[in-house]
Amino acid sequence: MPDSNKTVPSAMHLKASSAAARYGMGFLITAIYAFLLAPVLIIVFTSFNPTNANTFPPTGFSLRWYGTFLETSGFTDAFRFSMWLGAIAAVGATVIGFLSAYAIVRFLGRRREAGQSLALLPVMIPHILISISLLLALTIVPFPELGGLIVGHIIICLPFTIAGITASLEGVDEQLELAAMTLGASRLRTLWEVVIPLIAPGLLSALIFAFIVSFGDVYIALFLSGPGRTTLPIEIFSYMQWESTPVVAAITTVQILMIVALGLVVERLVGLRKIMRV
Amino acid sequence: MRAGGGIFAATLFTPITVLYLSFLLAPIGFFLVMSVFRYSPMELYIPAVTADNFVRLLGEEHYRNIIFRTLRIAALTAFFSLLLGYPLAYFLARTGSIWRGVLMFLVIAPLMTGVIVRTYGWIVLLGSEGTVNVTLMWLGLIDRPIKILETEVAVLVALVHILMPYMVFPLFSSLAGQDPDVERAAATLGAGRWRIFFEVTLPLSRAGILMGSALVFTLTAGAVVTPALLGGTKVQMLGQTIYDLVLSTLNWPFASAIAFVLVLCQFSIIFLYFKGGRRRAG
Repeated sequence: MPDSNKTVPSAMHLKASSAAARYGMGFLITAIYAFLLAPVLIIVFTSFNPTNANTFPPTGFSLRWYGTFLETSGFTDAFRFSMWLGAIAAVGATVIGFLSAYAIVRFLGRRREAGQSLALLPVMIPHILISISLLLALTIVPFPELGGLIVGHIIICLPFTIAGITASLEGVDEQLELAAMTLGASRLRTLWEVVIPLIAPGLLSALIFAFIVSFGDVYIALFLSGPGRTTLPIEIFSYMQWESTPVVAAITTVQILMIVALGLVVERLVGLRKIMRV
Repeated sequence: MRAGGGIFAATLFTPITVLYLSFLLAPIGFFLVMSVFRYSPMELYIPAVTADNFVRLLGEEHYRNIIFRTLRIAALTAFFSLLLGYPLAYFLARTGSIWRGVLMFLVIAPLMTGVIVRTYGWIVLLGSEGTVNVTLMWLGLIDRPIKILETEVAVLVALVHILMPYMVFPLFSSLAGQDPDVERAAATLGAGRWRIFFEVTLPLSRAGILMGSALVFTLTAGAVVTPALLGGTKVQMLGQTIYDLVLSTLNWPFASAIAFVLVLCQFSIIFLYFKGGRRRAG
């Protein structure tokens, strides 16, 4: 900052006050980060607690709650189901998201902004409303409830896959596609052999991020889960309505580690900010 | 792109259009229409037009309280998210630190873990043997654990924590997008640090403030899991009420009327947002 135009007394004053302001700001930012991260970190600590209570600081170190997690079939089944559902929803949302993002970037022209906003529709509607409405639709149209859950998850993942893939497509030179087509490649072949290889990191990121969104979802599954198709967040939610032991901490610690590792991969590949649109 | 692209583009758009129309817009439309149907314990609903659901919702004090509580908590959550999110977004937008990427990741990371994980974290922090109570007793400020869970404060704190990133992102975008020369010009003309902030930076970030507040308000209004686990039966909000009506009482038409009010609140907020945004542009 150029301070040359300041009068002498106020420059002295400004120097002192700017140091104070910098320390004050530093303290404030640290406090905000502590607030953001404390609930997540506390879970990791609690998961190693040897006693039955959700206390902190822990009274020792034990892996007993991880053992309990692995022995409780309700939790392990739900974990497996969430992985499976996340994988299917991720593939669905990435494929449909790729087709839509490509069409938005290459064919919409000046109406592109509008198309992108429409694609982001599911973010703006409360997820509980999407979920109830899907349940209602299932009571009218004969459609397996598992299908409803998968479709619901694909819908809530789509805004993120479209945002991520659109950002990747912006880095692809359209001339390359035109060259392929001039040389006689069909549109499909151009997509498959030119576009997809060029945005492979973006597609992989979209796939991973959609999995993360699906795995963390609780609102879609709230109305659409049932016997044999209970997701992990729903299993934890119903468990916590009656009791609360560190076994939940152990499960969520496993989940946190998995999600953060996947998030880091996305960050390396294309950057999370592109998918979150910031 | 070139001739013949029309059919190809239409094909590419087909899956998402079918998906959104038949599994998103049509079901939501039908669900909201149900708010004027009559409730029947035997069937899901009787398609006879009635205003009963809305009369009951606005007439009974119990439900009026739930509506006001939801609006109050949503407004407070948006306010505190802004209060905490603004300095964070400002810092992230202006810092030259090499850790900026990491610090940004730390804002997104909690978001990715899901609502349940973070709500559970607050149960551990705020419980009777939780960190907050243990610390307060250790400091000698209280003799025995105070009850934080099952109060509005617990719900508010957790919701601010869970939804704050949604405030930070639009704020960050609008702050990072500002031309640094504008602030420099104000400084050259003799404005102090605070004056620059309140008369230049803050007004220029208005779009981000409106966007973030609208987003947090809407997301809070639709919250179910966090109020249910941290507030119990004492802090009933609209989302939980809908959940109970659909899954326990099976009163779909009444649930629909509540959802209708929820959507109405959301649309008024979005309307205000666009109105505010336009005034800035004009």
